[in-house]
Amino acid sequence: MPLIEMRNVTKDYHLGETVVHALRGIDLQIDKKEFVAIWGPSGSGKTTLLNLISAIDEPTSGELTIAGKDVRSLTDNKKSEHRNETIGFIFQGFNLVPVLSALENVMLPLQIKGASAAEARKQALSRLEEVGIGELIHNRPAKMSGGQQQRVSIARALVNNPSLVIADEPTANLDSVTAHMIIDLMRELNEKEEITFIFSTHDQRLLDRVKRLVRLEDGMIVNGGAKQ
Amino acid sequence: MMKWIKLAVRNILRNKRRSFVTLLAIGVGFAAISVFQGYVNHVYYGLRVMAIHGEGLGHLRINKAGWQEKGKLEPEKYMFSKDDTQKIIKLATEENTVRLATPQIQVTGIVTNGIASTIFIAQGVVPKDDKTIKGRWADFLPVKGQTLSDEKRYGVEIAQDLSNYLSLTPDKEGVVMAPTLSGQMNALDIKINGVYNTGSEFSNDKFMRFNFYFAQSLLDTQSAERIVILLKDWQDTERMRTILLAKLKAAGINCEIRTWEDLSLFFSKQKNFLNIMFTFLFSIVLVIVVMTTVNTMGMSILERTREIGTLRALGLKRRGVSLLFSLEGALLGFFGSIIGIILHTCVWAMIRIYPPRYSPPGLAMPIDLVVDMVPWMLFILLLCFVLLSLFAAIIPARRAAKQNIVDALGHV
Repeated sequence: MPLIEMRNVTKDYHLGETVVHALRGIDLQIDKKEFVAIWGPSGSGKTTLLNLISAIDEPTSGELTIAGKDVRSLTDNKKSEHRNETIGFIFQGFNLVPVLSALENVMLPLQIKGASAAEARKQALSRLEEVGIGELIHNRPAKMSGGQQQRVSIARALVNNPSLVIADEPTANLDSVTAHMIIDLMRELNEKEEITFIFSTHDQRLLDRVKRLVRLEDGMIVNGGAKQ
Repeated sequence: MMKWIKLAVRNILRNKRRSFVTLLAIGVGFAAISVFQGYVNHVYYGLRVMAIHGEGLGHLRINKAGWQEKGKLEPEKYMFSKDDTQKIIKLATEENTVRLATPQIQVTGIVTNGIASTIFIAQGVVPKDDKTIKGRWADFLPVKGQTLSDEKRYGVEIAQDLSNYLSLTPDKEGVVMAPTLSGQMNALDIKINGVYNTGSEFSNDKFMRFNFYFAQSLLDTQSAERIVILLKDWQDTERMRTILLAKLKAAGINCEIRTWEDLSLFFSKQKNFLNIMFTFLFSIVLVIVVMTTVNTMGMSILERTREIGTLRALGLKRRGVSLLFSLEGALLGFFGSIIGIILHTCVWAMIRIYPPRYSPPGLAMPIDLVVDMVPWMLFILLLCFVLLSLFAAIIPARRAAKQNIVDALGHV
């Protein structure tokens, strides 16, 4: 059974009286342990597609199942639990909570789940060591570089042991050397921990490091929709 | 829960200037209410002592049933006979909480110094019992000259302004005239024992105090108009009214009992006035606190829209977001109240060290302005402010929780 299955999924936005067709009839299957890049020009629908997969948005029509669950049928609370337990998020702007230290940011998803502080701390420390910033755990985001913040963001995405990590342009705010390091780290985690990674990018320099490419144009998959 | 409280505290400290202004507004509002409440508390205490001891009302007053309505028209019919008086005193003093039961009688008439005359209202009291009722009040407003005595029954006390008007100072003589209970005019010589201040400008120009038996002679009666009960603790007033009423009824005495609060019109009026002022002040502070908290939380939510989106994406439920922002509101109320308590303590200490004097309406002399420090009142007020801030934060918090995650994440 594929981890993600989309059939004829569309997503429309209403801007006043104008309807914007962000996604038009998407058919996509992604299996467990895949390392997938969604790429295409700006406005092609990459972020919208990732929003649907990550259950923070709903399709206008079509079928979408994630880990066997029909996301549209879930209540808001169930969707929150689903995101917390199944999905890790890496954001373009890192989106770390500025008043929390690196360690506290990574502990956050576990504490939302209801884990004890001691347990959350133990797992967060382990993840921070894994992404290579074990010595910066007490620093707040403002005291860290973009690359370090993104590593904290990756540790936060992994701390709940999700089956899927979604990254929306994770390297957009990084220099090319750091961007390559981040992609390599994600790939290493994908291979070592068998976590499915899906990320969007429009940076072609990163594409040779990816196992599977899905190209979007004008809200449609023009290449890579079917598994190769 | 602690982790969310910790996060809420840090979020409050995020924008220090804005939070400081909010906390200061809440703190000043808290202090305004608590200082006023401390002042009102002391005024209530003062008015209570003035009514019970100063005016000599005691805690309870027993009259024959119907006295209030018809006593003035047919006084003899609505007064207690000598036997009834002794019976009531015996029954009342059997109670442990009763300190004293004493007969009294009121006389109204004309007092003259031989040249000028004016009306008077006199209370006929048993001198040693009156001393007990006055208690420490006698030190606060001492009688100039001598007090009433059992030996010299025609010796009277006269209120300050009445004394001034008739030049009746201690050791001077005069005459009092009043109708007896049967309607005949009676006159008796008096000698001024002492001059006293009633504490109230409304009574200071007409009040006198007679020996109880002298007042009986003037009215030509052996009866008592009322029995005044002094309790050991004023908080037993209502309970003892019920007990004594039942007890006297069982003994065949048809009576009515009023409390000092029923009888002291001055206390009731002042209390109502202060309650209205308190409600008015509290309403203003309430609006300020709610508006300030709503504004601060609204700004905070606007600034942290993206963070809300992130927390929701990470799995925080809507009620979790609501809880986080409500907690921030409640903590603003809590810390603001702590600032308020500090301000209250400073004002309280200043007033203790340098008490301002003022003449409150209705009082015949200036008194110190006193603000009480009442810890339980401060605690209740703190709880009120925390709940108020919590409720003020709920609306913006719910708005934050309802935000669309995609829109929130895309917020710049």
